[in-house]
Amino acid sequence: MVRFIGKRLLQMGLLFIVFLTILFFLLNAQPGDISQQFVGNPDIPPEAKEILRARLGLDQPLFFQYLNYVKNVLTLNLGQSFDHFPRPVSEILLQALPRTLYLFLTATLLSYLVGFQTGKLVAWKRDTPIERFTMVGSIILYTVFYPWFAILMLWFFGSKLGLFPLGKFLDPEKWFDSPYTANQVFNMMLLSALVAAILVGAVYWFTHKIVEPKPRQRARRLLLALVAIGMVVFWMVSPMSQYAADIAYHTILPVTTLTLVFYAAITLLTRSSMLETLREDYIFTARAKGVPEKVIRDRHAARNALLPVTTSFVLSIAAVIGGGIVTESIFSWPGLGLTLLNAVTAEDIPVAMGALAFIGFLALVAHLIADILYAVLDPRIRVES
Amino acid sequence: MTDVRDTDMMGAEVLDESLWKIRMRLLWRSFKRNWALFSQSKMGVVGVVIVGFFGFLAILHPILMATAWKGQEAIYDPVIGADSVIVEKTVVTEVTDPSTEMSFTEAMITGEFFPEEGMIIEVPIAPAPPNAKHLLGTDPFGRDIFSQLMFGARAAFILGVIAATSAVVLATVVGSVAAYYGGWMDTWLMRQADLILLLPLLPLLIVIGSFWEIGLWQLGILIGILSGLGATAIILKSQALSVKVKPFNDAARVAGGGNRHIIVRHIIPNVLPLSFLFMMFEVTGAIFLEATLSFFGLLSIPMSWGIMINTSHTQGYTLFGLRAWWLLFPAGLAVTLFAAGFFLIGRAMDVVVNPRLRTR
Amino acid sequence: MTQTVSRDTPMLEVRNLVMNYGTKDGMVSAVEDVSFTLARGDSLGLVGESGCGKTSIALSLIRLLPDNAVVKQGEVILDGENMLELSPEEMRMRRWDDISMVFQGAMNSWNPVYRVGDQIREAIDIHWDEKPTVREANAKIAELFELVGIDPSMMERYPHEFSGGMKQRAVIAMALSCDPKIIIADEPTTALDVIVQEQVLEELRQIQHDLGMSIIYISHDIAVIAEITNHIGVMYAGKLVEYGPTVDVFARPRHPYSWLLLSSTPSVTGPRMKLAPLEGEPPNLLDPPSGCRFHPRCPFATDRCVAEEPPMEDIVEGHRLACWNHDQVPTTAKETE
Repeated sequence: MVRFIGKRLLQMGLLFIVFLTILFFLLNAQPGDISQQFVGNPDIPPEAKEILRARLGLDQPLFFQYLNYVKNVLTLNLGQSFDHFPRPVSEILLQALPRTLYLFLTATLLSYLVGFQTGKLVAWKRDTPIERFTMVGSIILYTVFYPWFAILMLWFFGSKLGLFPLGKFLDPEKWFDSPYTANQVFNMMLLSALVAAILVGAVYWFTHKIVEPKPRQRARRLLLALVAIGMVVFWMVSPMSQYAADIAYHTILPVTTLTLVFYAAITLLTRSSMLETLREDYIFTARAKGVPEKVIRDRHAARNALLPVTTSFVLSIAAVIGGGIVTESIFSWPGLGLTLLNAVTAEDIPVAMGALAFIGFLALVAHLIADILYAVLDPRIRVES
Repeated sequence: MTDVRDTDMMGAEVLDESLWKIRMRLLWRSFKRNWALFSQSKMGVVGVVIVGFFGFLAILHPILMATAWKGQEAIYDPVIGADSVIVEKTVVTEVTDPSTEMSFTEAMITGEFFPEEGMIIEVPIAPAPPNAKHLLGTDPFGRDIFSQLMFGARAAFILGVIAATSAVVLATVVGSVAAYYGGWMDTWLMRQADLILLLPLLPLLIVIGSFWEIGLWQLGILIGILSGLGATAIILKSQALSVKVKPFNDAARVAGGGNRHIIVRHIIPNVLPLSFLFMMFEVTGAIFLEATLSFFGLLSIPMSWGIMINTSHTQGYTLFGLRAWWLLFPAGLAVTLFAAGFFLIGRAMDVVVNPRLRTR
Repeated sequence: MTQTVSRDTPMLEVRNLVMNYGTKDGMVSAVEDVSFTLARGDSLGLVGESGCGKTSIALSLIRLLPDNAVVKQGEVILDGENMLELSPEEMRMRRWDDISMVFQGAMNSWNPVYRVGDQIREAIDIHWDEKPTVREANAKIAELFELVGIDPSMMERYPHEFSGGMKQRAVIAMALSCDPKIIIADEPTTALDVIVQEQVLEELRQIQHDLGMSIIYISHDIAVIAEITNHIGVMYAGKLVEYGPTVDVFARPRHPYSWLLLSSTPSVTGPRMKLAPLEGEPPNLLDPPSGCRFHPRCPFATDRCVAEEPPMEDIVEGHRLACWNHDQVPTTAKETE
C-alpha cells in the first residue's frame, strides 16, 4: 500500500510538471508575449526596454525561461498581479483557495453521499413509480444547462422567496465591528472540519482492532458521539460562531446548487453500477446463504457498486471544477474560479496563469485521493497476491 | 479448381443483383432491427423528437430570412437587427404596473417635459415581451429572440457535428491503433489520454479563449482533439481490445492481411457502433462547453444560446425570472433540451450497442 | 425440531413439481411433474443436457428462482414440512441451515471485497442457534478448512488470492459451515481443470461419507454422477424420465434417452467401442412435443409415443421410468458403424 501511494505520488509529480509545461507554452504562444504589458509601450526608450526585458528574464533562451518558470511555480513565486499591483499573485490565490476548496469538498462529499444512497435504493426498487420519477428527475438535472440552472436557483430562492442572500460571501453589515477578518473565521471553520475528519478517521482506525462486532460498534458510537459533542461545544463557546454562521448561511445556496447537479449524475451512475452488480454470482451466493435482503443490498451489492462510482470520480473532477467556476461567478463567490474569470477579463495574465496552475494542482490532488480511496476499497488492488 | 466455369456460372447466378444493392438491403435490414430495439426506449424516441425539432428550427431560419423576413434584416437579423417595440403607457403618480404605467419622472426622461396625470405616452421598449411581430419578444438590445433561437440551433448543430466527428474519428483511430499494436505505442497514447483527462478543461479553455480569438470551428476542433485523445480514446480502446482477440483477425492475417488492412477492415468497423454512440454524448458535452464559455463572453461567435443568456445576464436581467421569461427561458431551455435530446438518444443507443443492457 | 421421522422414510420428498418461466413469447415449461425422494445420507445425481431443468429443480428446492419463474404446483417436503408453504422469512432462515449449495462458478461466487473467512462467518452468524463470537466462528472455519484441505490461515485472505480449486474447496467448506441436511452441488467441478476436478470430487465424496449428509449432484456429465452417487435421476426437457439406483441404471439403462446418453459417454473400464452421438436438438420448451417429449429424437418411437404421455412407473423395485417401449431398448450400448 505504501509502495502504491509512493508510486502514485511520483506519477502525480511528473504529471504536474507536464501540466506546467503546457501552461508555459500556452503563455509563450499567446499573441504578443507577456512582456508586451510592460515593454510594449512605445514611450519607453529602447535601452530601458532592454533593461526591463533582462530584469524579467526575457532575454534568456526559452529553455532557461522554462526552467525558471517551473522553479517559480513550485516555490509559489508567481509574480505580482497587474490588476491589483503590487499584490503578489500567490497571496491573492492563497486567499481564494480555501473558499474554492470548501465549495468543491462540500459539493463533492454531499453529492456522492446522497447520490450513492439514492442510486442504490432506486436500483433496488426497479420498475416502480419511485424509480421512474427519480430517473426522470435525475436526467433533467443532469442535462440542465448549469449556468441557467444556477441563475434560476438564485432567482427563485434568493429573489422570489427571499430565503437566501443573493450571492456574496458574507453580509457586510454584520461584520461591521467584527474583531476577525472573514478569512480568519473561514479558516477556523475549515480547520475544525479537518480536525473532526481526522478524529473520525482515528476512531475508525483504533476501533477496527476490536475483533468482536458488538463491542466494536459500541466503542465507535461512543467515540463518534464524543467527537460530535466536542465540535458542537467548541463552536458554541467560540466567539467566532456568529460570524461563522453568517458565512455558512451564505454558502447554503451555492453549495446546494452545485451539489444538486452532481447528485443527479451520481444517482444515475450508481443505479446502473448497482444493477450490474446485482447480476453477479456472489449476490446469488448471499441469497442462498440466507442473508437478509437489506444486508444483501447494502453489504454485498452496494459495496461493490461503489467501485465504479469511485473510478468515475476521477472523470468528474474536471466537471466539478468547471461547475465550481460557474457557481462562483453567478453567486459572486470569491474563490479561485471567480479570481480566474476576473483576471481573464482584466487581462491580468500572472493571476490567470497562477489560478490555472492552482486549479490544475487541485485536480491532481483530487485524482490522487480518488486513486488511494479506490485502492482502499478494492482489495484486488490493495492486496497484491 | 477443376470446375472453374461452373463456379463462375453459379457466381453469376447469385450476383444478378449488384453488390451495392445487396449491401444496401443488408444495411436497411439491420437499421430496421436496430430501430426496433432503439424504439423500445421511450426516452430515446423523445430524444429523436427533440433533436428533430431543433433541426427543423435550424433549417427554418435561413428560409424565413429569405422569405417572410426578406428585406427586414435590420429588424430580424439575430446579431445586428434591432427593433423598438412601441408601447403606450399612462402617466400616473403611483406606479402599480410598470408595463402599462409610468411615473412623472420617467415621463420626463422620455422627453415629455410637462407630463400630466393620465397622459398616454408612446415609449419604445427593449426587451419587449412577446407580440405578433416578435413571437418570443426581443432581447435588451431589441433583437428578435425567436430569430436568435433559430440561429443558435444552427450554431449548436455545427459545433456538435464538428466536435463529435473530430473526437470520434480521432478516438477510433487512436483506440484501435493502441489496442492493435500494444507496447510503447499503447503506453504513449494512453498516458497521453490520462494526462488530458486530468486537465481542468473549462479553466484551460477560459484562458485559451482570452488569449486567442476562438470561433465555432476552432472550439469544435479543440474539444474534438481534447476529448478524442482523452476520455473517448480510453473507452474506445477497451472496445478495440475486445475486438482484437476475436478469431476473424487471425483469419484475416492468415489470408495475408497486413496490419493496416486488419485495423481498417476488421477492428475499426467493429468499434464503430460504440464510436457512434459516443458521438451522441460528445455533442452533449460540446454544447455545454460552448454555452458556458459564451455565457462568460469568451468566444468570438456572432450568436448562440449561451450568448443570449450572457446578454440578459450582463444587462442586469438575471433576477427577473418569470417577469421577463422570454429573456432567459427560451435560451436556457434550448441548451438543456438540445443536450438532453442527444443524451437520451445516446442512452437508448447504448441498449442497441450493448446487448448486456437489454432487459429480459 | 421434532425428529420423529424414522430413518426409512425419505428425508426429502419432491412431489409433482411443476415450474414455469414466463417469457414475452409465452410460458416455458421448465420442470414438468417431477417427483423423487432422497434418504438421509443418500446421494442423488441429476443428469441431462443443459436446459433440461436440473438447475431449475435445485433453485426450486431453495426457493431462489428468478422473478419470472412460477412454481405451478407440487410439494417439497423436508422432514415432514412443505418448504413451498413457508413464509419468505422462514424460508430465508432455512437456506444454508437445511439446504446449502455448492455453486457452478466458484470463481464468481465469492464477493471480491471481503475476506473469505468473513464471508463464511456471515452464514454462521445468521444460522447458528446461538450466535458465536468471532473466535468461536473462526475456530469452526479453521476446522472446515482443514477438512477440505486448505491452510486455515487462508481465511484471512481475499478471494482473488485463492486459486480456482481453492475457491471451490472454500465454497464446500462454506456449504458445510451450518451442518445442513442437504447439500446441492450444481456442476461443482465444471469450471475446474481435470486434475482439480478429480480432487474436489474425491473430497466431496469423502466428506459426505464422513459427515453422513445428503447430497444432490447436478451435472451434465454422466461419468461424474456415476462416480459419486448411489441414486440417479435422468432428466429430459423438464421431465424426469428415469430414476433408480446408480448401479442399476448404469448396468442397464432402460429409457431410450438414458441409453443414448450412456452410449455417447466414453467409459474407461467398460468394453472398447465407438461413441454414438445423440442426434437432434433438445425441444423448444415454449411448445413441447406432444406425448413423450423425447419422441422426435427417439429411435424406438411409435404412434403411441406421439399421442400419449408415458407415466412414471416402477419397473423393478426402486427403479422407475417413463417409456412405452422400454423393452425395446437393447441391453448393450449403441454401436455405430
